[in-house]
Amino acid sequence: MKFYYITFRSVTFAQRGEKVLQKSGIRCTLQRTPRWMEEQGCGYCLKLWTKDVTPAVDVLRQNGVGMRKVYSQRQDGQLEELTV
Amino acid sequence: MIYLDNGATSFHKPQGVYRAVGEAMRSCANPGRGGYGAALEASRRVYGCREAAAELFECQPEQVALTTSCTHGLNIAIRSLVRPGGRVVVSGFEHNAVTRPLHALGADIRVAGRKLFDWADTLERFGDALKKGADAVVFTHVSNVFGYILPVEELAALCREKGVPFIIDAAQSAGTLPVSLSKLGADFIAMPGHKGLLGPQGTGLLLCKGEAAPLLYGGTGSLSIQQEMPDYLPDRLEPGTLNVPGYAGLAEGLRYVRRTGLEEIFQREHTQLLRCVRGLETLGMRVFAGEHQAGTVSFLAGMDCEEAAERLAKEGIAVRAGLHCAPYAHESAGTLDTGTVRVSFGHDADSSQTNMFLRAASKLPGYKV
Repeated sequence: MKFYYITFRSVTFAQRGEKVLQKSGIRCTLQRTPRWMEEQGCGYCLKLWTKDVTPAVDVLRQNGVGMRKVYSQRQDGQLEELTV
Repeated sequence: MIYLDNGATSFHKPQGVYRAVGEAMRSCANPGRGGYGAALEASRRVYGCREAAAELFECQPEQVALTTSCTHGLNIAIRSLVRPGGRVVVSGFEHNAVTRPLHALGADIRVAGRKLFDWADTLERFGDALKKGADAVVFTHVSNVFGYILPVEELAALCREKGVPFIIDAAQSAGTLPVSLSKLGADFIAMPGHKGLLGPQGTGLLLCKGEAAPLLYGGTGSLSIQQEMPDYLPDRLEPGTLNVPGYAGLAEGLRYVRRTGLEEIFQREHTQLLRCVRGLETLGMRVFAGEHQAGTVSFLAGMDCEEAAERLAKEGIAVRAGLHCAPYAHESAGTLDTGTVRVSFGHDADSSQTNMFLRAASKLPGYKV
């Protein structure tokens, strides 16, 4: 299992995302977005531990929770942005 | 004290409200700023308030902007929709929280509908006023002076049909009557947190359908490099540190209202309103009462309204006299020169309050024509 980051425009969207994912049984943690991930400055993200991030992205989309970006942990431990 | 000034603020709050305010002061840092426990706890408290409001008022949490008061929200709404000199149609029962911001913008204010408790007249006058078009329409849901419940659903439908953006002032209805952003389709609905929603003073909510113009500019904890305010809600309207203890308390007030039920709260208030109206009429007061009335009534005794309120205060009765920051409403009712004494019931209305009030009121001289 690896982890993913989903970044949001604001803490409000991140919190709504957290709620809808948890309701769908997808475990996630709210945290500050690492600085390098957010070119516009401060923000919040959800960190997910899962095999596949697609169901989480789908749930967020279905509930109208706007995401900014999705990052995935590569095999070498580095993070890369995913196209979702 | 028998508290009958709920139109100004609710005084007896549910216990959970007091508890939540204290807990938030002890456990919360700045929301939407840090990633440590106390900052995240603050964000959770604030989001809890947004979520509780979104459930009660049928919208999304991000459509709930947290304000310091209903007045704050109305200023944002009016500044978002009305250009200087723009034509704006308002009801004859607006509070200064609506009319003063419009006046400051130099708006061309057109008053529609001045007859108390008369839905047919209100709708006809709005229809007439909108024939000439308008930049925006603003109307109160319930008159803060007379408790007149305006036909908001019909007025909203009229505005939507004419394609005119509109703002609802729900200062006296939120927490007592159904208010739905999605059903009414209003551009904005403003309300205080400390009246019918039973939160602390210094809190308010602005429900936003879509775009809104910031009234204040500053840090939001988001997009910090950008020098323009974020173009999305709620960040666009919420610069600076939020009143976390206040919104934590308001969240509990909102949950209490949902648990108790709007219908139950309205019935409690309305039952006492009817007893109060009958009692005042029996005492020979001039009472402003009619159909479509919420838990607020104005009356006149045979003496100056402020002196009457002072006499009642000495008997342990808290009511408000004067013009209630609503000269338009008093002008409509013909009471601009005299003012009125206002009795406004709250979520805890019961017959003992009314009995005590009527006993004290019986010592006032009756109204003389």
